[in-house]
Amino acid sequence: MNLAVEIAGIRFKNPLIAASGTFGYGVEYEGVLDLSLLGGIVSKGLYMEPRDGAPTPRIVETPSGLLNAIGLQGVGIRAFVRDVLPRLAKHDTALLVNVCGDTVDEYAEVSRVCDGAPGIAGLEVNISCPNVKKGGMAFGGDPRLTHEVVAAVRKATRLPVIPKLSPNVGDVTVFARAAEEAGADALSCINTLLGLAIDVETRRPKLGFGTGGLSGPAIRPVAVRMAWQVARAVKIPVIGIGGIAGAPDALEFLIAGCRAVQIGTANFVDPGIYERVLADLRAYLERHGTDDVNAVVGTLEYPGLPRPCDSGGRE
Amino acid sequence: MPANRLAPLVDREALGGAYFLLTFRHPETAREARPGQFVMIKAGVCAEPPLRRPFSVLSVDAAGETFTLFVKAIGRGSQALCAMAPGDVAQCLGPLGRPFTPPPGGEEAFLVAGGYGIAPFRFLGEVLEREGRTARLFYGGRTAADLPLLDRLGGTGLTLVPATEDGSLGQRGRVTVPLEAHLDGATRPVRLYACGPDAMMHAVARIAAARGLTAEVSLDPWMGCGIGTCLACVVRVQGADEPRWKYRCACTEGPVFDSARVVWPGEDDSRARRAGGGAEEGRR
Repeated sequence: MNLAVEIAGIRFKNPLIAASGTFGYGVEYEGVLDLSLLGGIVSKGLYMEPRDGAPTPRIVETPSGLLNAIGLQGVGIRAFVRDVLPRLAKHDTALLVNVCGDTVDEYAEVSRVCDGAPGIAGLEVNISCPNVKKGGMAFGGDPRLTHEVVAAVRKATRLPVIPKLSPNVGDVTVFARAAEEAGADALSCINTLLGLAIDVETRRPKLGFGTGGLSGPAIRPVAVRMAWQVARAVKIPVIGIGGIAGAPDALEFLIAGCRAVQIGTANFVDPGIYERVLADLRAYLERHGTDDVNAVVGTLEYPGLPRPCDSGGRE
Repeated sequence: MPANRLAPLVDREALGGAYFLLTFRHPETAREARPGQFVMIKAGVCAEPPLRRPFSVLSVDAAGETFTLFVKAIGRGSQALCAMAPGDVAQCLGPLGRPFTPPPGGEEAFLVAGGYGIAPFRFLGEVLEREGRTARLFYGGRTAADLPLLDRLGGTGLTLVPATEDGSLGQRGRVTVPLEAHLDGATRPVRLYACGPDAMMHAVARIAAARGLTAEVSLDPWMGCGIGTCLACVVRVQGADEPRWKYRCACTEGPVFDSARVVWPGEDDSRARRAGGGAEEGRR
């Protein structure tokens, strides 16, 4: 049975990838699970320099979800390349680095550092983090800036470039096309939805940063819809993300047109999820008479298939 | 190495109020856990509530098969755990975190627990007792009902000093009152260990600083993963040779920290001044 997928020249042994910000730098899970089970790992977001991140509290549980504002705490790209990459090399899984920046130049600089480092399969460009004051979602919320950042990263590296799109926009396909035109090799869809949880006793936000990003099963239908729209709007492959907690969830994204998926919040709930989802995925394929996961991709039967939202403009 | 596996509930005992003792089969935790370590655990494999919860290990069995948690059913996660019946399974990852550092030879351990914060101290008392060490437990709460484990501390060798704010049990007042009195009368060097509300642990930290003692505190911020990836449970900690604090994960670099290294809420400015002035106070 073939579970391997190829995206932008990167071979993933299976379509399950650990999502950025939910799997640390990967090495934290050494000993708890076999990292070689994973199709790939996306690192925690990395800037040039280390970052403190957001004030606490940083997470709050919501119905079937999680609202977080971690604020991209991280060790910086150089420490990652020096200290973490050698440890990850012994695991047979594709490694993507999640590239962050306060400025377009910083995105390019981080990308250049990755370009020269061994063991990095590709770059996911974080233009969608809602929990930082500069950069992040600012780039992913304006199609011209999206184009500018992706083009700058494209120029800075020979590695595959995979922008991660924000759901906090009116028409996600506008951003998908902007990224594609700027030279993106694939797209990750979607980051967290901007949310706010309020402590009614103190009448203050529950999170130290104020607003946060919503993830988990609560956002899955939104994510599937957006990934589906994007997959129909661009020619490059799409990686689906949003609330995947089991094989049927992953299959929704694949059927909607995604070539692979990322598992995020569910890593916190059960680090052993990969083994379970892979087993269930195999059973599904068998039951549906195919021996190749790629045969499922984009097989959505949608009666009277309407066109995705017309991309007349932004909200 | 922590193990992630299903852990069947083997025993459940209601202690009255919202308090329960829950015993799970999880050999890795039973064999490897040290006092102060915790597990991330969630009832069943259902979707709600999403996250596992951290609980200090209260005790482990001699056979290395089971461990027991002291759980107060106060939220969705803890209520679901306490509603389990023997035979039901929980998802469990453990043992996790940095345990307490045993007191050096010649030092006596003073354990300071605030209410629910008693959880890790039964285990610490047992281990100290096995090593022939003596320890005193200062166990405080608002009322007697906040000290549900008081009669369950047999076999720990702990000398109990209860205190309640309403005087319904033990000495009237905050637990730091008898603590200071015992420190005044101590004939041997003392090492402090504290677990409870933040304000209580901060008070113990101040007492330790004023008396030149070492205190270890077990912090309890909201945790997402328990393994250092979500970065939700960070606390501000300033290492001995560091110019300023850094956010450190309570799950992997704690939950037990040297209280002198913790930057407590409201302490930012003084700590920054000390660091900026190169004062020696932070280095002990």
